Amino acid sequence: MSVNNLLENWSQFRHFHPVDDKPHDPYKWAMSIDLDACTGCNACSVACYAENNLPVVGKEKYAHGQAMHWIRIERYWDEDDREFPDQGAQFLPMMCQQCEAAPCETVCPVAATNHTADGLNSQVYNRCIGSRYCSANCPYKVRYFNWYDYPSDDNVWPAEMNQQLNPDVTVRGKGVMEKCTFCVQRLHAAKGTARSEGRIVRDGEVQTACQQACPASAISFGNLVDPESRVHKQWQAQQVALDKDVQTKDKEEGGSELRGYRIFEELRPYPSVMYLERVRESAV
Amino acid sequence: MMNSGFDRRDFLKMLGWGGVAVALNGCGNTSVDDGKETVVSYVETNDYMIPSISTYFNSTCAQCDAGCNITGRIREGRVLKLDGNPDSAINRGKTCGLGQAGVQHHYNPDRVREPLLRKGGQGEAITWEKAYALIAEKLNGVSGEEIAFLTGGVSGHLKVLLGNYLDSFGCKNHFVYEAIAPAVLRAANKKSYGVEMPRFNINKAKVVLSFGADFLGAWVSPVHFSQQYAQFRKGVDGQRGVLIQVESKMTLTGANADRWVVVRPGTEGILALGIINALGIATGDIAAAVKGYDKARVSKETGVPPGQIDKIAALLKLRSPSLVLAGSAAEGYAHGSQNAAAINLLNQVLGNVGKTVEAAAVVPFPQMAPATGNTAALKTLNDGLNAGKYKVLFSYAANPVFTAPGAMKFKDSMAKAGFRVAFAHYLDETAMQADLVLPLDSALEDWGTQVPEYMAEGAQINIQQPLMEKLHANTRGMGDILLALIKLRHTEEYKKFDDYYAYLRTAVLQNKGALGGGVADDDTFWNETLSKGIIKPAGSSHVLSGNATAAGLSLPASAAIDAQYPLQLIPSVSASLRDGRHTNQPWLQESPDPLTTIVWDSWVEIHPKKAAELRIEEGDIVEVTGKNGSIKAQAYLFPGIHPDAISIPLGRGHEALGRYAKGYGVNPFQILDAVFDKETGELALHETRVKVSKTGQRFIVVKDEGVAGGMQMGRKIAVRVSSDKVRLSEEV
Repeated sequence: MSVNNLLENWSQFRHFHPVDDKPHDPYKWAMSIDLDACTGCNACSVACYAENNLPVVGKEKYAHGQAMHWIRIERYWDEDDREFPDQGAQFLPMMCQQCEAAPCETVCPVAATNHTADGLNSQVYNRCIGSRYCSANCPYKVRYFNWYDYPSDDNVWPAEMNQQLNPDVTVRGKGVMEKCTFCVQRLHAAKGTARSEGRIVRDGEVQTACQQACPASAISFGNLVDPESRVHKQWQAQQVALDKDVQTKDKEEGGSELRGYRIFEELRPYPSVMYLERVRESAV
Repeated sequence: MMNSGFDRRDFLKMLGWGGVAVALNGCGNTSVDDGKETVVSYVETNDYMIPSISTYFNSTCAQCDAGCNITGRIREGRVLKLDGNPDSAINRGKTCGLGQAGVQHHYNPDRVREPLLRKGGQGEAITWEKAYALIAEKLNGVSGEEIAFLTGGVSGHLKVLLGNYLDSFGCKNHFVYEAIAPAVLRAANKKSYGVEMPRFNINKAKVVLSFGADFLGAWVSPVHFSQQYAQFRKGVDGQRGVLIQVESKMTLTGANADRWVVVRPGTEGILALGIINALGIATGDIAAAVKGYDKARVSKETGVPPGQIDKIAALLKLRSPSLVLAGSAAEGYAHGSQNAAAINLLNQVLGNVGKTVEAAAVVPFPQMAPATGNTAALKTLNDGLNAGKYKVLFSYAANPVFTAPGAMKFKDSMAKAGFRVAFAHYLDETAMQADLVLPLDSALEDWGTQVPEYMAEGAQINIQQPLMEKLHANTRGMGDILLALIKLRHTEEYKKFDDYYAYLRTAVLQNKGALGGGVADDDTFWNETLSKGIIKPAGSSHVLSGNATAAGLSLPASAAIDAQYPLQLIPSVSASLRDGRHTNQPWLQESPDPLTTIVWDSWVEIHPKKAAELRIEEGDIVEVTGKNGSIKAQAYLFPGIHPDAISIPLGRGHEALGRYAKGYGVNPFQILDAVFDKETGELALHETRVKVSKTGQRFIVVKDEGVAGGMQMGRKIAVRVSSDKVRLSEEV
C-alpha cells in the first residue's frame, strides 16, 4: 500500500468503532455535559485529583505547561470588543473525549493507547514508551505526560499524604502518558458486580468522580447503547449520532432548536462526549 | 446522680438541650452512665471489613460552615475520598472542590502533632498533662472578665461545652469572629424579614437579580445554591430562569449571568432604589423614598445606562416571582447596611417575600444554634487587648493575625495578653504568636455535632464522626480538650463522661424522643444516627415579620475620587481559598481560579482600559499602596471589573501555615483600612482606597488559560445559544 493510496483513500482505511465484527455490546460509555448548568466552579477537577491520584506539580512546573489535570475548566470570553463582558464568561469542562476514531491511537508506535470493547480510549501505562506522539496528535490537548517521577523524586505525596492515594488506581511513574479514563476503575468494579449477578450495569449504578461531585449536576454519564440510560435519551433527543460527523443541528444552522454538539466534529474523531450549548436570555 | 446543687435544668443545659420548648422524654429510660463506652475504631477489623472492599461512613464536611453532609470512602482503615451524602437536603450527594480537599486537611504533612510551649523563639513539645496543668495555673486567680475566648463560627455540642466552660468562670468574653461572613446582611435581613437567614428559593424564581451575591462560589451555602441554580436554569413551568448580576468585580456567579451589570463600587443600593422607581409599583413611604431616584440621576451615579435599568425593571415586572439577593459586594461599605436594606426592599416591593424568600426551619435548641460572628467582635477584642484587659486569651478556628485588617495591628494587640493559647491544626500566623499551641484532631478524626446556619429544608443537626483512626497519637479533639478543661472546674458533674464521645452519646440519647428516636432502644437509635449522619428533629419555623418600609433609608452619593488613592480595592473571596485557612491544601493551590485561571499566586485584576492608561501589561509587578501599607503582586488584565477598581483575591500570602501556603502570593487583609459599617460596626471590606504603580519587574503569569487568552479564534468549542432558539421543556 503506497502512501499515496493511503492518503487518497484514508476514509476506507481509517478504522473506527464500532465495526461490524466488534459492535458495542453490551456497553458503550459516553457522556453529556450541559453547559447551561455548568458554573465553572472546578469541583469536578478537584474530585478527579482525589479519585485518580493526580500529582500536584507546583507553580514552576505548572508554568511549563506540565499540569496534570485530567479534567480542566476552559474559560472563554466573547470576542466582540465590548468594554465589559456583559454576557458573562463561557465555561467548558474539557477532558479526554474518548474518541471512537481517536487521532491519538493511530500514531502510537507501540499501541499503548487503543480502544476497548466498551468504547473507551485506553492507555496502557506499562506499554507506553513516552514518545508523546499521541499528545501531539490530540486535537483537544487532554493528554498529560509524566515529565518527572512525581511519587519519588518530586515527593508529591509526602507522608501522610500518600495514605490518601486510591489503591484502585495506578500511581504513574516518569515517562508515561496519562489522561482521563472515564474512571475506568469504577466501571470495572460495576461491570464485575453486574456480571456476577447475570445482568448489565444499570443506569446510575456507576458515576464518574467528576459527575458525582458536580454541584449543578451538569454531567451525565452512562451506557449509550442502553436505551434506558439518561445519556442515550439525551443523545437521541439532541439527534447526535455517535458515528456521524454531521448532525441534524449542523444541517439546519440556527433553526433546529437543538443544543447538542460535539467539539471538532469536522475532524471526525467521533468523540463520546456531547455538550449542550449554553443558553443566554434573549430578553435582557 | 443529681444532688441538690445541680438540678435537672442544669443537667439539660450541660447537654445542650436547655432553652425554650425543649421536648424531652421522661428521664427514666436513659442512663447517663452509658457514657462509659469507648470508641470502637474502624481500623479494628469488623465482620464487614474486607480488604480491598470499601466501606462508607457518613459525616459532615468541616471545610466551611455550610454543613454539607458527606460520605467518606474508607478502605483498609484509611479514608480515601469524600463525597456528598445523597440523603442530605443541603447538598444532595454533591460537593464543591473545597469539600473534596477535606482529605488533604486530614493527611496534611504540616499538621501540629504535639502540644507546643513557647521557649524563646521555639516551640517545645510538652505532654498534655503539663499543658492542662499550665492552663490551670495561668487561670488560677484570674477572674472571668480577664479571660477572652476567640473562636470562628461554632455550633452544636461544642458550643454548648464551650458555653458551659466559660460560665464556670463567669466569663462572658466569647468572641466569635468570621473574617468573611455576611454579617451586615444578617443584620439587614433581621430588619427586613425578621430573621437573619431566611431561605432563598432560587429554584422557584423566574428572575434572580443578585447584587454581588456569589451564591455559586463562596456565599452562604454554595453547593446547595448550585443545585437550585441548575433547576432554575431548567425553568419553572418551562420558562428558563434569568440571572442578572450587579457588581463591580465579576464573581463566579457574575460569570454565569445572562446579564452582568457593572456598577460603580458602593452604588448598589442606589441602583436598587432606581429599579424600584422604574418599576413604578411602590406606594406610600417607599414611593416617596425612591421618588428622587429617577433614571438620569441613578444612571449618573451608578454608571448603569438608563436603558439597562428599564430592561431590568421590565423583566422583573413581567416574570414573577423573582428573587433579589444582597451579597458581600454590596455589604462591604460604610453604608453597607443601607445598601442591603435598599436591595431587600426590592424583594418587598416585588412581592417575593413568602414566595422566594421564605422562613427557614430552626433547630429548637437555642443552645446549639450556630454562634455567628463578625469583625465587630474582633474589634471589641482588639480594643480590650490594647487596654490590657485580658490575662488569658484562647483562640480556636480563627486566624486573626492573618485575617484582621492591617490597620487593626492585631498581632501587636495579641502580644498584650498575658498568656495566649491557640488550638490549632497547623502552625498558622496566630498560633505562631501563642505561648501554648494545642494540636487538634482533623475533622475526619473527631466527634461532633453541627447546626448549619443556612437551613435548606427541615431543621437538621449534622453528625461528625471519625472516618478513621487518628493519624497522630498526640492530637486531641476540641470537644475532648474542652471536656478536660471543664473537668478541672466541675469535676463531679462531668466525671461520668470519659470523653467527648461519651458526652455526645449521652446527650443525643437523653433527648431521643425529640430527635426522632421514638421507641427505639438506645443502641439502635445511636447506631442509626451515626449511620445516617443527620438528625432531623421536629423543628419549627421562624416567622417572617419584617414589613416593607423605607424608613431610615439614606444612601450617600458615590464617593468623590480621591486624588491620592484613586482606585477602590476589592478583596475578592474565592470559592476554594475563602479566608485562607485551607491554603495549605495543595489541590486548592493548583485548582485554577475560575475567572483568571491563575494558580499558586496572587494577582491584581485591573480593567484593560485602566491598564492602558497606567501602561500596565499582564505580568507587570505592581505595587498597590493604601493608607495602611502596600503589597506587590502581578497584574492581570481582566475585563470583568469596574475601571475605577482593582481586585486582589484573599487567602494567599501566608507567612506560616505550611509548605504549600507559606510564601505564595500576598495578603490583601494586611492593607485594609479600618472602616466600619455605620450601623453594625462590621468591617467594610471594600472601603480601602489605593493607588497602583509599576515596579518595573515583569513575570510570566502562571495560569491555565492558553496563549489565545480565552479566545476561541472562530472555532466552535464553547458554544452559546439565545434562549428563544431552544426548547428546554422538550429536553431529557
